[in-house]
Amino acid sequence: MKPFILSGLIACAALAPLPALAHKVIASVYPSGEAIEGELGFSDGTMVAGQAVNVIAPDGRVLATVTTDAEGNFSYAPSEPVALTFHADMGGGHVADVTMDQADVAKILGKAETLAAAQAELATPAAAATAAGPAPMSAAERLVEREATAEMLRDELRPLRQEIAAMKEKNDLQTVLGGIGYILGLFGLGFYLAARRSLARG
Amino acid sequence: MHIVDGALSAPVLVSGAVLTAGGITLGLRQMTLERIPAAGVLSASFFVASLIHVAVGPSSVHLILNGLCGLILGWTAFPALFVALVLQAVFFGFGGITVLGVNTLNIALPAVLMGLALRPLIARAGPRLAALWGAIGGAGAIALTTVFVAGALVFSGEAFVPAAKLVFFAHIPVMAIEAVISAAAVVLIKRVKPDLFAAPSAALPA
Repeated sequence: MKPFILSGLIACAALAPLPALAHKVIASVYPSGEAIEGELGFSDGTMVAGQAVNVIAPDGRVLATVTTDAEGNFSYAPSEPVALTFHADMGGGHVADVTMDQADVAKILGKAETLAAAQAELATPAAAATAAGPAPMSAAERLVEREATAEMLRDELRPLRQEIAAMKEKNDLQTVLGGIGYILGLFGLGFYLAARRSLARG
Repeated sequence: MHIVDGALSAPVLVSGAVLTAGGITLGLRQMTLERIPAAGVLSASFFVASLIHVAVGPSSVHLILNGLCGLILGWTAFPALFVALVLQAVFFGFGGITVLGVNTLNIALPAVLMGLALRPLIARAGPRLAALWGAIGGAGAIALTTVFVAGALVFSGEAFVPAAKLVFFAHIPVMAIEAVISAAAVVLIKRVKPDLFAAPSAALPA
């Protein structure tokens, strides 16, 4: 663990000089076809590039270590239908832990298998022969086609999803004002109690 | 500055919580009637300061203002900063509930130390010297906080030197800005309400 942390720290210091240390870590994972995609960043909008992310099974085994790209994205193709925890230690007390539950991972695995089977069927010469010409699409073909469309859609939707994630992290004025209100109220209460005590004392 | 949930080991969390509880008790005991409004205002400033990010070079920083808090409040900084940290954790997810004790200790204890060391000096000093002490208090509290943060990480298994370096160097711009702000605030307070820096016993009504 030590060398990992150390190398993580060094990577942080080398690749992202002084990352926004005082900020909240944002990490999210979502299914993307036959793989799991995720992103890693800070609440001020900087993404963490070149960061090692450990993929951990429920029993504590480290299944794989993936690295984030320049935009802080990483992807991992699951091999077992178990809940997966993605853990990244960015040093300086910034740790991210996101978990994808078992059902979601199993769904991704199932999809990957049917797709692989369909692609294998299409790749055989017999299937290729029937696929040529205006014959109606086979089930396998339709599946591959649908997967391609889904891929395109995901690419289109990705910026939208990231924007929504960023928006969720935005501190809106109402919340800030609410917080100040709480503080003033609390200290006002303290003031009232202290004043009552000093009045009672004479 | 705000360590998140899951980064620290259990002994560090527990000892942080215990020490913070002690600090808050001490602070509440010293909370005199006329110091409550000041504590409220500083608590609110700390709460808001962490939300405003100023871009500095490739990164962005936010003010912490714990030095100023300690200079004005002394031990009362503990409850004041604790309240703000609770609200930050609840509303914005800064830090976390389990690390609240450690975070409060890391931010409030340097403030208190600066306050204990520099308050008497500021009370006696002229405006120019007071500004210097204020600047030292502002920057020193941040520097100490970074050391404390690194310390908390070390006791949880990280290597000290890289951890400390990373946190310390990231906060050098903050130290510079806080030094200026604390100095300005101290000078202003010296001019308009010098008794704020007087010893707590002297400030008490008879």
